Amino acid sequence: MTNHLAPEEIEQVADGEAGLAEHLRECVVCANAVLSAMQMKHALRAMPRFTPPAGLRSRVLVVPPRRSRTAWWVATAAVLALAIAGIALLRARDAAAGQLVDLHTTILASANPVDVLSTDRHTVKPWFEGRLPFAVDVPDLAPPFRLIGGRVIYWRGQPGVYLLIGKGAHRISLFVFADDAVPRAITSHAGMSIVVWRSRELAYVAVADVPASDLQSLRQAFARD
Amino acid sequence: MTQQPADPRAAFEELALPLFEPLYNYARWLTHDPVEAEDLVQETYLKGLRGFGSFAAGTNFRAWMYRILRNTFLTSRSGLRAVPPISIDEDPDTYQQIGVAETPESLFFARVESETLRVSIEALPLVFREVLVLSDVENMSYREIAETLSIPIGTVTSRLIRARQKVRNTLRGEG
Repeated sequence: MTNHLAPEEIEQVADGEAGLAEHLRECVVCANAVLSAMQMKHALRAMPRFTPPAGLRSRVLVVPPRRSRTAWWVATAAVLALAIAGIALLRARDAAAGQLVDLHTTILASANPVDVLSTDRHTVKPWFEGRLPFAVDVPDLAPPFRLIGGRVIYWRGQPGVYLLIGKGAHRISLFVFADDAVPRAITSHAGMSIVVWRSRELAYVAVADVPASDLQSLRQAFARD
Repeated sequence: MTQQPADPRAAFEELALPLFEPLYNYARWLTHDPVEAEDLVQETYLKGLRGFGSFAAGTNFRAWMYRILRNTFLTSRSGLRAVPPISIDEDPDTYQQIGVAETPESLFFARVESETLRVSIEALPLVFREVLVLSDVENMSYREIAETLSIPIGTVTSRLIRARQKVRNTLRGEG
């Protein structure tokens, strides 16, 4: 028997996404494969479902209650006033770091963190051409680093390159902007490491939940190229 | 219809509450943890309620709610850990031979205990686990899964193939 159904066709038939192919009437191998997929489907459907805890249904549409006791509010207001003063001081210093960490987190949480998905720098680098007013050298990254992909990003009204780089299970965001777009003093923020370096009129900002030494190694990889 | 168009909250409740148990079930598959799943479902409903104005009437509400739940999970600490650091869709050759099963296994899954099956699915990486759960547990169509996960239908198919293959391998002790 030749010309078996493609794996996609087998799943599509099993999932009811495609009709029964004529081929299935005469090919026991493919019929068996469809049957196997259907058996798994039925076994999964027959599994006991997780039952929500009692009371959750009535809670899901309740907006979290606001406490109204005066004493609680007075105490909270005092703490808040102190905290806000402290935060304002810190934020003034770390605003840029905070924004870049937020961007890093937002992008990683996105379903499509990168627009060009490739481990090949020869694919990624040309993709940016024409999209940005500057060119970025994407080096050939050696293990433990690997290029995952990139996208164009805007920060504080400035266009930049965003490169997503993997190191083991961690992912590193590398932002590249024109040198003058990135403030001089950027420090680590909210447990994230941030390393900034500047080269050829560009500023590179690496952000990740890894030790800063890892980001320094990445910096060296870029410097070598 | 008891829906009151003037009251978006009532409209949201009418659409969203029937999804409560499926959403909790999906949350458990994503988080592996009852407490996290509970928080996730609560946050999903709150976000859904707040963002209901942006839901386009006539589009798939179920996919919209599942998408909120999934995105909320992905931004959580355990969600960020669960996402693979590299693309998992780049090696189509790995499932070329799946269609050619060597042994009849029509009774194979009938013999597999639910608990064994559950453990093997829980062991799947997130991208495979979620597509399998949405398809086979939540009974979503490929199109609905694609919409929920914001991926092309072709990717849904290829991930399903690989998810099922991985489960088979695990159950046969090859995984």
